[in-house]
Amino acid sequence: MLKATSSLGVIFFPAYDWAISPTHPEREERLLYTQDQFREEGLFDIEGISEHRPLFATDQDIMRAHFCFPSVDAICTESHRISAGGAIQAARLVLEQETRRAFALVRPPGHHAMKVVHGNRGFCNINIEAVMVEWIREHYGRKRIAIVDTDCHHGDGTQDVYWHDPDVLFISMHQDGRTLYPGSGFPNENGGPKALGRTINIPLPPRTGDEGYLYALENVVLPILADFKPDLVINSAGQDNHYSDPITNMLFSAQGYARLNELLKPDIAVLEGGYSIKGALPYVNLGICLAMAGCDYSGVREPDYNAVALREEPDTLDYIKQSCGPLLEGYLHPAMGAFEKQGDYFIRERKIFYDTDGILEKQREELKDCDQCRGLRLIKTSSSRILPCLGVELPIECCPACEREGYEQFNRKNDDFLVAQLLDQKNKQYRYRPPR
Amino acid sequence: MRIGIDIGGTHTDGVLIDGTRLVAAAKIPTNHDHLLESISQVLHLILDGQDPAAVSALNLSTTLTTNAIITGKTDPVGMLVAGGPGIAPETYRIGDHFHLIPGSLDHLGSETAPLDVGQLEQAIADCSAQGVKRFAVAAKFSPRNPVHENLMRDRLGDRADFVSTGHLISGQLNFGRRIHTAYYNSAVWQIFRSFATALTASLSGFALQCEVNILKADGGTLPLARAQDAPVQSIFSGPAASVMGILAITAASTDLLMLDIGGTTSDIALFASGQPLLEREGIAIDGHPTLVRAIHVESIGIGGDSLISIDANGVRTGPQRLGPCMATGGPAPTLMDALNVLGLAAFGEVQRSCVGIEALAANHGLTGGQLAREAVDTAVNAISEKIEALIAHVNSKPVYTIHEILEDREINPKKIIVIGGPAAVFRNLLQMRLDMEVVVPPLHRVANAIGAALTRSTSHLTLTADTTKGKLSVPLLGIFRSIPRSFNLDTAIEEAKTLLKADLEQAGIAIQADEIQITQADSFNMVEGSYTSGKNIRVVAQVQPAVIARLDAGFAEVHITGRP
Repeated sequence: MLKATSSLGVIFFPAYDWAISPTHPEREERLLYTQDQFREEGLFDIEGISEHRPLFATDQDIMRAHFCFPSVDAICTESHRISAGGAIQAARLVLEQETRRAFALVRPPGHHAMKVVHGNRGFCNINIEAVMVEWIREHYGRKRIAIVDTDCHHGDGTQDVYWHDPDVLFISMHQDGRTLYPGSGFPNENGGPKALGRTINIPLPPRTGDEGYLYALENVVLPILADFKPDLVINSAGQDNHYSDPITNMLFSAQGYARLNELLKPDIAVLEGGYSIKGALPYVNLGICLAMAGCDYSGVREPDYNAVALREEPDTLDYIKQSCGPLLEGYLHPAMGAFEKQGDYFIRERKIFYDTDGILEKQREELKDCDQCRGLRLIKTSSSRILPCLGVELPIECCPACEREGYEQFNRKNDDFLVAQLLDQKNKQYRYRPPR
Repeated sequence: MRIGIDIGGTHTDGVLIDGTRLVAAAKIPTNHDHLLESISQVLHLILDGQDPAAVSALNLSTTLTTNAIITGKTDPVGMLVAGGPGIAPETYRIGDHFHLIPGSLDHLGSETAPLDVGQLEQAIADCSAQGVKRFAVAAKFSPRNPVHENLMRDRLGDRADFVSTGHLISGQLNFGRRIHTAYYNSAVWQIFRSFATALTASLSGFALQCEVNILKADGGTLPLARAQDAPVQSIFSGPAASVMGILAITAASTDLLMLDIGGTTSDIALFASGQPLLEREGIAIDGHPTLVRAIHVESIGIGGDSLISIDANGVRTGPQRLGPCMATGGPAPTLMDALNVLGLAAFGEVQRSCVGIEALAANHGLTGGQLAREAVDTAVNAISEKIEALIAHVNSKPVYTIHEILEDREINPKKIIVIGGPAAVFRNLLQMRLDMEVVVPPLHRVANAIGAALTRSTSHLTLTADTTKGKLSVPLLGIFRSIPRSFNLDTAIEEAKTLLKADLEQAGIAIQADEIQITQADSFNMVEGSYTSGKNIRVVAQVQPAVIARLDAGFAEVHITGRP
């Protein structure tokens, strides 16, 4: 029988009783054929590959990662809590050393969910990787974590959550934002003023195939990881770079995905998008599992796979090769962005659209430019559905002055905010202001 | 009246039961070279003074096929396998005549590469040239589309005495297990057939005119005629007989555990609300996982004859066994001897136990009492830990719907039924270690045979329907046919029940409609582009393991005859 050379825990949770809507890509059927393939291949008969059920993310788990307005319950259904709980289970398996690696094959996905959440964006409500990362740091202390987002769409949610966090390196490889939702993810988006170079965006041209994709991985992502030396590598594993995906334009294959994971060696992978549920997911998921477990994956192939037809144009490959040098340079010597400052505070004012729920959020972020710590962060947000709310974030090594000011803001009795939420990483306090 | 016989590794047990009353019971040593001899001896004992014509059923649990496989005394099998992309089919190589035939299907059952008939013919010719007459055929995703397996079987024609066809053995997905299950089914076909013929002759010698059923590892029975085409279903039926015995001799309706303490090993099984838990996919034999449905039984290498030894890590009990305990003339001290020393048992010649334990203890600077206490504690701890691990494992088994996660009830047994030779001795020891009520039921020594006698038939089938393709499949019954677009989950459930009932009736088993349980019923919208193209429906129906009667409380007075 086959044996895994590095043990792998798989949290397979297809949520067979949940969909955004009956014909939405994010529906009950999504992982059905993956499960058929796993069963027929006998994946869980391989020695060293085990199947686990997800945990259930609590309000506290979610409030460590997000400002949810007006409340966690208003944002999250049980499905989101279980999906995030699946990611937590994956982290638990690895950090407790029950398995060497883990893959949370769960839905719904999360990487478009930002720090502040008012509803569903890009099929995502809460960011399951972020909930997992915060759970890890809560239970196992401060860690250097690298999240490599290999979904075809820019991981704008995860980028936003960790924009100011120098402990988390976020790298997103995706189809160029000029050609695909959410339209962001350009190299100049490289982190907030206190975390420059900790956000890396690698836009790839449409119709990039295995060779180009893996070239960027080997020449940008792997050298950056070698330098950053993370304690944990997380693959935010979307499967929509696949040539058969209905809503993207790439030429990546199951073999490419398996090789990607063999090279990246993620400690934890978390499923994100990927909606070619019959033609891609069964093969891609099998390839990822085998590669993560260190098993031979050479026989994994889509029935309609055609190596010649799936090769990118030489121009495309040249373009990728030329872009790798500057991308690596952008990590090593990040350029300072055009940060707006008012007094002691860096200011960001943004409008964010929630495509799935049709919500328009208006947000003002104030980050204190503190020389003692990363700085207190205040987020003032309102939307087409809700009156202004306040998020107060104290970083993990928050200085006493920022801590005092943060609590003053949170405890005010006479401001106009409908809801205020505290996210105090230093004292591990995550709560809403009691209603007046 | 019904007869139950369980041929075990050490003993053959038999009982005769009239309704809910135990009429006779017997226990004799198993004669492994002549299993029929053991059956005859037991029948003599339990039928003594009884009217054989009043016996309506004889249910038999036998180690025949299990032992044949484990000792390698099986027939050569031509294993024809159509794999295709994915995990290399070579991984599942088994036997000396394993042939890979190019050709593949995908997870929807669509043919992605036709079967290479030329290579198929070559493989068959190779097997025939080596005198192979039994074959097994298996194709990846054959439960979705049997075309490749059927083609292989048809091409074999009369060049095969017998062919096991993967999708007809189990409708479940799992290619590797399908290969191994089909292989073993053909490998034990002749052995089982010869046994069945001899058994039938032997029973007529006893003037028994009853139906004869073979026990399966899932605790159910299979009519002898059907078992001849599916002999692999008879592997590992022994532990299942004991589990069914628990249901027949105790009021088991809550979560509870069974501990069957034997000579070399002990078996542990878990019941949820009185229902024995089944293996998720099937039981493994000789290191090969199969699709043979089975009650989940955990074995631990601790029994009455477990050797006591002392090494750098301290006192060990088991898993080795050198022979019986010293109290009955064995060569070295065992767990039973330790129990004798502590005064917890008085088995055989207690003095010999004391001498043996004292001698071992003295070599290591211990007193006999200290050594015996440690040996017993080690054993009880190991059993208890195994039990706790089993409960934790079952409670963490994967589920696939939000409903199941939210509604899931934790299995939390508060009672353990202990059976087997030294059962009574362990009652207090376990009671102290586990926070559970420990029950040693009367007649626990023949619980296995009672279970065999009183268990009923089990069956199951998997139905899948794809209304986009307009196809329905029930692989186990070889049914692959067209359905209208209006086919839905309700019709699928009715169809599954009807087919299962009809199949059992064909085997001569009458079943009430409400005895059929639906364990899975899912309907998925299949979407092409942005419109719903049809439904993908999956239904699993089963007749679960159950006993037809529970023995009356007064049965304890029956004397067990024979010389164990």
